[in-house]
Amino acid sequence: MKRLLFLVALIGFVTPAPVGAGENGSKILQNRCAKCHDLTGPAPQTIRKLWERDAPDLFYAGNKFRREWLVEWLQKPVRVRPAGVNYLRTINSAPVRDAEEKDKNYDVLYGAVLRPLKHLSLKPAEAEATADALMDLKAHSDLVAGMQLDRNKKVDLDRGEVLFDKVYGCLSCHQIEPGFGGYTGSELYTAGRRLQPAFMLSYIKRPKNWDPKIWMPNGNVKPDDLQKIVNYLILLSKEDFNAAN
Amino acid sequence: MRPINLLFAVAALMFIAAPVANAEEAFLNYKSYCMQCHGMHGKGDGVNVPAMNVRPRDHSDNKYMMTRTNTEIFKAIKFGGPAVNKSVKMPAWADTFTDEEITQMVGHIRTLCCEREIIRGVNFK
Repeated sequence: MKRLLFLVALIGFVTPAPVGAGENGSKILQNRCAKCHDLTGPAPQTIRKLWERDAPDLFYAGNKFRREWLVEWLQKPVRVRPAGVNYLRTINSAPVRDAEEKDKNYDVLYGAVLRPLKHLSLKPAEAEATADALMDLKAHSDLVAGMQLDRNKKVDLDRGEVLFDKVYGCLSCHQIEPGFGGYTGSELYTAGRRLQPAFMLSYIKRPKNWDPKIWMPNGNVKPDDLQKIVNYLILLSKEDFNAAN
Repeated sequence: MRPINLLFAVAALMFIAAPVANAEEAFLNYKSYCMQCHGMHGKGDGVNVPAMNVRPRDHSDNKYMMTRTNTEIFKAIKFGGPAVNKSVKMPAWADTFTDEEITQMVGHIRTLCCEREIIRGVNFK
């Protein structure tokens, strides 16, 4: 009898790991993510609130991310926003004098610009569960509802870059390959793998709808160009950026 | 205190308090949105500058800024660089700011450059 009890206790003790990982997706979110990430919304409505934000909002994650990317990223997190979620905090308040250009100082980012990210990394089972839980967070479904990517509006990488850099000036803040582009926006060389096309369309069309005080302006992108830019980003994400290194 | 006095007091308070709040807003807006490229002190040396092929305007450059009218600066902010024959790298902020906020922003930009010597007493419109 005693042995049987012991066995039951032992099974009870050993098994929770896989079962727990299965049921725990939302619990992981609540216990480990909610401290920094906003899981309930709404997005910051004033600038002061905006600068209090520690991590990207996740309450519309289900309408934003692609699940495969989430699973991969949660196991091996890398920096998405070169200047951090809150770029004001990362910028050095004492500009460093540039030796070559005597009259110009640049605001610089603290330390090395592309520091590795400090973020929890999850085990595969946990990552799967958490990704599932994140995909259930579907706020703003109305904003992605009418958005349909037209894959016929293709561009090659060169023309896409012209749109991205010269026509709409996105490159000032967003990087299209590691180290090439601005710092205050999120990098976009993995955007095609990271984000759902409908989200990209909707966000570029009017960032304010998703995040009322975000520092990304509405670029007044024409509908045709909007499709092209998103197709370009998807094409771009298929490039191998580590090939050169 | 008689009601009429109270009314005066409230009116006076509104006059005093409102501009202060507005000034702070413009400063905060500048800090949050313009600073990415124009820099913390408006010297056109923001954090994104090394990656840009067009230099953002140096707002503390008296000589240049005094050649621009308030209306031009307003248009540049609201409709972007191309509206005043400048680069597309200056985006249109019409969707982010209200007209009033842009007007205040113009005022704030004026304080960055040449408020003391040039602007006071001169109608730049």
